[in-house]
Amino acid sequence: MSTLPASARRYSAWSLLRARYAGPGYWRPLWSGRNLQPAYDVVIVGAGGHGLATAFHLVRDHGLRRVAVLEKRLVGYGNVGRNTTIVRSNYLLPENHYFYEDALRRWETLSRELNYNVMYSPRGVLDLALTNDDFPALARRGNALRLAGIDAELLDLPALERFAPELEPRRKRRFPIVGALLQRRGGTVRHDAVAWGYARAASALGVDIIEDCEVTGVRAAGGAATGVETTRGHVQAEQIVFATAGHTGTIGTMLETALPIETHLLQAMVSEPIKPLLNSVVVYVSPGHGETYICQSDRGGLVMGGHLDGFPSYTREGAWHRLEDVVRGALELFPRIGGVKILRHWAGTNDMTMDGSPIMDRLRYDNVFVNAGWCYGGFKAIPASGAAFAQFVATGTAPELIRPFRLSRFATGHLLDETGQGPFPVRL
Amino acid sequence: MTRLACPFCGPRELREFEFHKTGPAAGGQGEFERVYLRVADPQLSIEHWQHVGGCRAWLLVHRNPSSGLPLAVELLAGNAP
Repeated sequence: MSTLPASARRYSAWSLLRARYAGPGYWRPLWSGRNLQPAYDVVIVGAGGHGLATAFHLVRDHGLRRVAVLEKRLVGYGNVGRNTTIVRSNYLLPENHYFYEDALRRWETLSRELNYNVMYSPRGVLDLALTNDDFPALARRGNALRLAGIDAELLDLPALERFAPELEPRRKRRFPIVGALLQRRGGTVRHDAVAWGYARAASALGVDIIEDCEVTGVRAAGGAATGVETTRGHVQAEQIVFATAGHTGTIGTMLETALPIETHLLQAMVSEPIKPLLNSVVVYVSPGHGETYICQSDRGGLVMGGHLDGFPSYTREGAWHRLEDVVRGALELFPRIGGVKILRHWAGTNDMTMDGSPIMDRLRYDNVFVNAGWCYGGFKAIPASGAAFAQFVATGTAPELIRPFRLSRFATGHLLDETGQGPFPVRL
Repeated sequence: MTRLACPFCGPRELREFEFHKTGPAAGGQGEFERVYLRVADPQLSIEHWQHVGGCRAWLLVHRNPSSGLPLAVELLAGNAP
């Protein structure tokens, strides 16, 4: 299905061929730098995946015309460009797995929908059990998924060996592999392409994407917000959406509302490119080292991540000992990567909620919306979040899919605590 | 932040310490606010840590989460925020 207006240049094999002969002037910027207008129907704060996807759906699905996305720095500069690109829907709780399954279905067709190749690669997500206790927990999660009609397969060692021989499942290890839960449709998506693709599609539909424009306050009158203060002056808005990832706590401070959120750092790293080694996404908790997840990017680098650093921070500087933990976990699984060098290492700020699930609700005013608290799950949620949140903002009623993520659940006790560990932002 | 200065052991590697929790939102509030709500102050975070890999003392740490730098580290005893 085409979503771009006729005026936008469509990408195709034909357009590539034409570009070959048209000379350097053929390619245009993916999104156009427009001027900030004094008033909008909807102002979205944050040009990351969630903000841009919400803008795209507001215009395409709900016919809004005057929509702006304001960004403090650059499009895709925040967490949409800092994650480990994994998409999956294998959550235990129904509220979570139905939502993330909606996202996964949208990932499957997103390239066509945006006319932009986001490189969705359904290479399979493997959750490994390294202890006899892990395996029944994976079986339980898999059964919950299958009851909901979501693909999940429990693999014993022979089955795992067939699916991923590169893991050498029978290899002697300090903590040998017991089995795995496989979601075949899970995999990776090129993260930058998601930001660029949504920005291009939204811009073509007339959304103003304003970079280098920081929102510093909300102006209100008569019990409703009337606009935002920015570093480029006041902007009137009928409705305001905050999609500011790891900085939602400070948005709460701006609106004088305490939120059940702390900002923590999550690290990721990528190795130098090596020949194809790993054909799926592997996630496991190594006793002693904590969580490690690994996949191999299309360029050949091993992309790795693990647990949170474990204390609140906005620095985007990962703690050294956590990097060591992740690498040690990776080495236990793949001793042969011992000589491979880490090429880059970075950290992103995560909104950690007190139950580990997101918040999609109004905040303080009826016309202020907050799309936040994504913990580790923000990237894989983008297409579902954009569509559902746009419906919420446009109609004023939250769709069924995101109603469990309301802010009041912390007060009423309807928590979505995937790991069942209580009100702590650091999820182990 | 790569090290934290324990008042008993001196500056030690961060790995030796375990973060426990941040102080609750200010004001005399109920259980819900105390358990769930946080006031995000980018300049100051008041936290409980434990020197688990050392003297095992419970510590009250004032830190700037924007720079990552600890502002003050003292024994927690009787000082719970």
